[in-house]
Amino acid sequence: MTSHAEAAAHHHGPPIANQSSRVDARVLGMLLFIASETMLFGSFFTVYFFVRVANPDAPSTWPPPPYHFPVFVAGVNTAILVTSSFTMHWALQSIKRGNRPAFLAGMTLTFLMGLAFLLTQLVEYLHVGFNTSSGAFASVFFGLTGLHGAHVFVGLTLLGMVLVRGFRGHFSPQHHHGVELPGIYWHFVDVMWIVVYSAVYLL
Amino acid sequence: MTTAQHDHVGPQPYPEHYEPPHGPRWRLFFGPGLGRALWMTPLFFSLGMFLVVGLRWWWGWPPAFDWTVIVAIGGMVAAPVGFLTGIGAFDYWLHYISGRPTRPEDHSGHGATSWKDYFRVNTDHKVIGIQYLVTTFFFFTVGGFMAMLFRAELARPGLQFLDSQSFNGLVSVHATLMIFLFIIPAFAGIANFVVPLMLGAPDMAFPRLNALSYWLLPIAGVMFLASFVAPGGAFGAGWTGYAPLSVDGPVGNIFFNMGVQWAGASSVMTALNFLVTIITMRAPGMTFWRMPLLVWANFTTSLLVVIATPFIAGSQFFVFFDRVLHTSFFTPDGGGYVLGYQHIFWFYSHPAVYIMMLPGFGIVSEVISTMARKPIFGYRLMALSLIGILVLGFSVWAHHMFVAGMANWLRVPMMITTLLIAVPTGIKIFSWIATLWRGRIHLTTPMLFALGFVTMFTIGGLSGIYLGAVPIDIHASDTYFIVAHIHYVLFGGSVFTIFAGIYYWFPKMTGRMYDERLGKAHFWLTFVSFNATFFPMHYLGLRGMNRRVFDYPAAFGGLNFFITIASFVLGASVVVFFYNMIMSWARGPIAEGNPWRSHTLEWQVSSPPPIFNFDEIPQVVGGPYEYGVPGARHAVLAPAREVEEVPV
Repeated sequence: MTSHAEAAAHHHGPPIANQSSRVDARVLGMLLFIASETMLFGSFFTVYFFVRVANPDAPSTWPPPPYHFPVFVAGVNTAILVTSSFTMHWALQSIKRGNRPAFLAGMTLTFLMGLAFLLTQLVEYLHVGFNTSSGAFASVFFGLTGLHGAHVFVGLTLLGMVLVRGFRGHFSPQHHHGVELPGIYWHFVDVMWIVVYSAVYLL
Repeated sequence: MTTAQHDHVGPQPYPEHYEPPHGPRWRLFFGPGLGRALWMTPLFFSLGMFLVVGLRWWWGWPPAFDWTVIVAIGGMVAAPVGFLTGIGAFDYWLHYISGRPTRPEDHSGHGATSWKDYFRVNTDHKVIGIQYLVTTFFFFTVGGFMAMLFRAELARPGLQFLDSQSFNGLVSVHATLMIFLFIIPAFAGIANFVVPLMLGAPDMAFPRLNALSYWLLPIAGVMFLASFVAPGGAFGAGWTGYAPLSVDGPVGNIFFNMGVQWAGASSVMTALNFLVTIITMRAPGMTFWRMPLLVWANFTTSLLVVIATPFIAGSQFFVFFDRVLHTSFFTPDGGGYVLGYQHIFWFYSHPAVYIMMLPGFGIVSEVISTMARKPIFGYRLMALSLIGILVLGFSVWAHHMFVAGMANWLRVPMMITTLLIAVPTGIKIFSWIATLWRGRIHLTTPMLFALGFVTMFTIGGLSGIYLGAVPIDIHASDTYFIVAHIHYVLFGGSVFTIFAGIYYWFPKMTGRMYDERLGKAHFWLTFVSFNATFFPMHYLGLRGMNRRVFDYPAAFGGLNFFITIASFVLGASVVVFFYNMIMSWARGPIAEGNPWRSHTLEWQVSSPPPIFNFDEIPQVVGGPYEYGVPGARHAVLAPAREVEEVPV
């Protein structure tokens, strides 16, 4: 076996690993990460369920008077975020077809809409009329929307990195994993918002 | 996400023979490494502090210098990020995301040529495995000393030399270190070394992520230990950190809240990496039904980690917010739901006991089959029972809460699912015994620990069945019976399997053989003193001695004194282990490639394995445990190449 070790010492680079699944490793990694993230949201929804349903002193109206949630503003914000998912998809399809201007336009639009969503939410926090110490309903409100906002921030960081590399011409029809993976994450952030919006604002 | 293969076209790589443009002194402080971490950690702490103070001053929130928030943001978020940036865990990604040229993968991060390489960000799964194991055994020693300290306090009734708060702190940090810094990551370390080899893969799927997940671990450990210097002492609400006690307790509790986040992030990343590696990087012919059971065990464990760990992250975030942001998730005054903490916590922490157990099942399956020279009995059922435990493990969490005042109707369903888990676990126990039946048993040290595990874990499992039954649990809850049960499961169970795994793969990891006589002495010393320490606790518990107490009725004095003496012997047994490991690693006899004549792939290469594990990816042709089956082979390896043939 020693000749084996010596041979390896002279051997440049690892052997090519066998690809034992049709799924790409990076896509699978991202999907598993999203599964884990979904469970993190799950723990926040669990506490929402406890505060709003399981608790014997659960408030009969949501939010308890005299507070209100800005349902309309958040609804507009929802529309912005949902639209950004479509522009994200457009950007990915464009780079797959080699249409660079459309890809860059799509990415820029997605980024700007994500930024608009985050800033709107920040303004909403400032004018919502209560803060984190206003009771369990406020804890749940800031917990769920804040956790989601943190994910939008992470998503925007990833999109920003795609933008930088996109404008430097790093993507091509053959090489677009760097667009696809942040795209998957962005769609996840988007779908999660629909759930958060429905649970916190609408129900 | 990045992998070993990178396919982006844009960034121009550095020239082939890349030479850093600066001298060695410049590199010491500005190149990736501990030197740079030394100044980046305080720098990032200051940034975090200025962020907190600046924002508080801007909003006009008195006092601007709120040390709880500064320590939480500056010390527990920013400073660790600075440390990781300093040692260079993010270097590649920072280059990548800014579109600058990335350093070509010249494999300088692969393998270790001197001990210094273990203190760097290294992407070699074998180096990371050893980094994990050494780190975890360091924290095992620290946690063990804490246990001996509070055992000394408990030698006699009344207060000796600790006060109540430091007693609670020692007990809590002992448990936290042993769970989050020893058992869970020690299994990750063994699996890191062994799983890619067993699969016939050159490395893990995401080597850089692997390196990062290791370096998160010491951060968590330092955070738990640092809580001792917090005003009011270390977190003393137990490793379970029940709210609202952990919300209102001393500020040391936030060290627990945040340390768990770092340890949890580490295990989620590792688990994700294992899953992707196992799914996408198996050698040709290595179907799921030909994978060694250790791989199966880590596959199921990783699924548990990825799905369950976010729940403890959530529970600790809520406690942290309740303290720092004055939310009322678990504060009844504001409409919070106190019992919610326990539900969320145990929804992670019950699956977590399987996270701490399933990899051990895998190790024991490897050891017993190899050392009994027989195919494992019921291979498929062994794998399926792991899946059974995985699924059932999510449905039993409230059996920790029978006396917590939860809804009564939840008790019986949880009791039934709890007792059901005995079925897949029992399948495993009986399969091991059936594997031993008429085997040609070699009583080597790893085999002794594996057999010790089977017996001790059976005792722990049986007391678990008692505790799963509501009436007995109501009687035994919060007594030393629980302490006995958890130590039979986690020490007699998990720790014995870790020892078995370390002895079993020691020749593979170091290329040297351990001293068999010292190994056996270690086993018998551990086995006897372990039972002497923890078996009397069953009796004490049933007689009514409460757990987590620093004082107890004088009637229990004699037995407690006996337990304390036994626990010191148990501590001394670890010295034998360390002596054996260190001396054998330094100058033990050179080990052959396959001293156990095992069939699995990691034993078919040299000891220690070549830098990229295999010259060519092997071809798997059969099951992993076909011992004594004429002509059976697990895998065909390309013959070792002659040195002359390799182009230089």
